[in-house]
Amino acid sequence: MKTDLAVIGQGAVTPAGIGVDALIHNTPKETKVCLVSRPQHQMPVFRVGLDEPWSKRWQTEPRLRRASAISYFLVEAGEQALAGLSVSERSQTGVVIAFSTGCLAYSRRFFESIIVQGQKSASPALFPETVFNSPVSHVAAVLHLQESTYALVGDDAAWIAALKTAWLWLEQERMAQVLVLGAEEFDSACLDAYYNARWFARRGTESPFIPSEGAAGVLVRKARPSDSKIISQIEDGFIYRSKAQALAAGERCFDKFESGLPCYSSAGGHWLRDIERKLNSRPAPHGDADQPAYLGEAATASSAWNTLRGLALLDQKLPRLLIPIWGSTHQIGALKVENRAPQLV
Amino acid sequence: MKRSVVVTGMGAVTPLGEDFPRTWNALIAGKEADAPLKLFSTADFRCHRAAVASLPFLSGLSPKMVPRLSRASRLAIPSAREALAMAGLLEGSGRCSMSVLPLSVSTTAGGMEFGENFLRDMIARKRSGLLGKASRYMPQQQVLDLQETLGFEGPSTIIANACASGANAIGHAADMISSGMSDCVLTGGFEALTELVFVGFDCLQATTVERCRPFDLNRTGLMLGEGAAFLVLETPEHARQRGARALCRLSGYGHSTDFFHLTQPQPEGKALVTAMRQAVSAASVEPREIGYVNAHGTATPMNDGAEARAYSAFFADSLDQIRISSTKAAIGHTLGAAGSIEALFSMQALITGKLPPQLNLQTPIPEIAPALVPNGGGNSFMRHAMSVNLGFGGSNAALIFSKNEN
Repeated sequence: MKTDLAVIGQGAVTPAGIGVDALIHNTPKETKVCLVSRPQHQMPVFRVGLDEPWSKRWQTEPRLRRASAISYFLVEAGEQALAGLSVSERSQTGVVIAFSTGCLAYSRRFFESIIVQGQKSASPALFPETVFNSPVSHVAAVLHLQESTYALVGDDAAWIAALKTAWLWLEQERMAQVLVLGAEEFDSACLDAYYNARWFARRGTESPFIPSEGAAGVLVRKARPSDSKIISQIEDGFIYRSKAQALAAGERCFDKFESGLPCYSSAGGHWLRDIERKLNSRPAPHGDADQPAYLGEAATASSAWNTLRGLALLDQKLPRLLIPIWGSTHQIGALKVENRAPQLV
Repeated sequence: MKRSVVVTGMGAVTPLGEDFPRTWNALIAGKEADAPLKLFSTADFRCHRAAVASLPFLSGLSPKMVPRLSRASRLAIPSAREALAMAGLLEGSGRCSMSVLPLSVSTTAGGMEFGENFLRDMIARKRSGLLGKASRYMPQQQVLDLQETLGFEGPSTIIANACASGANAIGHAADMISSGMSDCVLTGGFEALTELVFVGFDCLQATTVERCRPFDLNRTGLMLGEGAAFLVLETPEHARQRGARALCRLSGYGHSTDFFHLTQPQPEGKALVTAMRQAVSAASVEPREIGYVNAHGTATPMNDGAEARAYSAFFADSLDQIRISSTKAAIGHTLGAAGSIEALFSMQALITGKLPPQLNLQTPIPEIAPALVPNGGGNSFMRHAMSVNLGFGGSNAALIFSKNEN
């Protein structure tokens, strides 16, 4: 990267609450949801409450009238990250949003109605909201962002591709700043997929895998001397198919960064947690005592949460940090973030 | 300083052919792939026809592996392989000679047939085989299939900007090269016909039960299609060092968003005009220098009207010197692959001087009637060709391809 990215705004919607403070300090409450294919089995889930005050202000937006939860998560996180930006600055802002399962709730409802009730029951109101690009369009329209928009898909590491896209647009001076978001919504179909992938904790293991949902993001621009929170290196594209390949992919990824860089532990309840432990001989920036609460696994949203949590750890004592992004099904990447706040004398 | 971008390889699988030469020859001959759809039951649909591709034989893959691939992967792999071969990047083993090759690709539905089967089995409480179906529907699976089959790794970007995605993926790849992020990128798009997507367009009444007639006053809707197309983009220096021949330059890319409505374009096509202006500005050409436009032209009443007004505003007095056609009457609307397949058509028109005909045109839409090419024909003097795409959510994209300067 020839140019560093400065993080000038942040926003988060999590099962533990709304905003970056909640992301760092709050603990989510677990609920239980039944598997569709095995209704006698209940699994733990972290959900974001949509009947809370934060979502009320978006319910009158005509664009969001038919939208599913993921669009609400995105506009809220986006609005937080844009706080303080003038109308004219918003008009020079692009949007890149990373998804893994994307508009899953409506996609499942749309197709389930066809399976159960027949093809004639297909809803023309629902179908447009199943498209990956729809929440991106809603975010740009509701938040008055008039520059280009991209919807990117992939596993958790699509978040890295989104940050790199923002870097490209800023490097080419297509716009002044870019809002980069990651978001996922929970649907019962996820549970069956995760159950069959054996990602849930098995008796006798300590893996706390819990499906989750939400969104988070950063507003970024080309770094200026006055900017303090910086993304200075982005590496991705280390692919794997098996756990053994994942270890080698992680090694190749970590080798791209300077040695001795403190590493944020981002694997949480991820199935690649063991790989992170094997790889992470670098000093950890925090002990277990101040480890933020586990928010569950929400693919690109988790990647964004981990990035914000890593940025929050930066201070004079911890000026640089490596944040690994563990893609669940395809690739591993990582970011280097830096604190460049001027030293107080 | 921005670096130049050249195209050194292209490949495609479309309803008109299992590779790009066969596709192009059929297209120029005025063939169309409209046929009864038999991939899934359409008994309760309004529309029962589509443009369906024949899946090419995949050499080098074990008989066990092929059934595990999604239809999208079976379209993507041979077209990517064809592009790599043309660029001189394919070894005799059928694998890429570069171990690290960035990818910029597009799709809207990925391996959706696996997702559909997962939901069917889950609802029916069938418990076996769910994992394979859940894991194989996601778009990164097709990327992983490409990377494993062709033997390379590297950063990948999967753009899902609805029907503009294919053009965005190519433009993004060009951005990666011109900014210095990469020297060489494999880019393209893929889309397979699936029931969920077909019923979605059918319930919106966007598909036609008649013939697909882009830019005709009596147009009644689109014909869905499927396919894949890939290009190899690189810097001229990178191509020269490898001894690869540059087919043409990718000289301009513009992209913009239309906030008018989720599924309808702003009636004057203002966002498309913005995207085209960005593209000509990047290419340092005037609109009148564009010889041919491969238009989005879905044949829906809303799209074609707005698009035609955008061309009328953008080309203004030079409109009658430009030649425009939509190839969707021939290959169908291939959604996430459309921008890539149609970019190849634009390039080949530029290279050969032959223009794809505007099929099924009886009463041309007046705004661009002088520019439409009902009988094909040629323009061997053109220096630049443009490919244009629009999508759900307001994505607009324009790519400009230019002849090599020497």
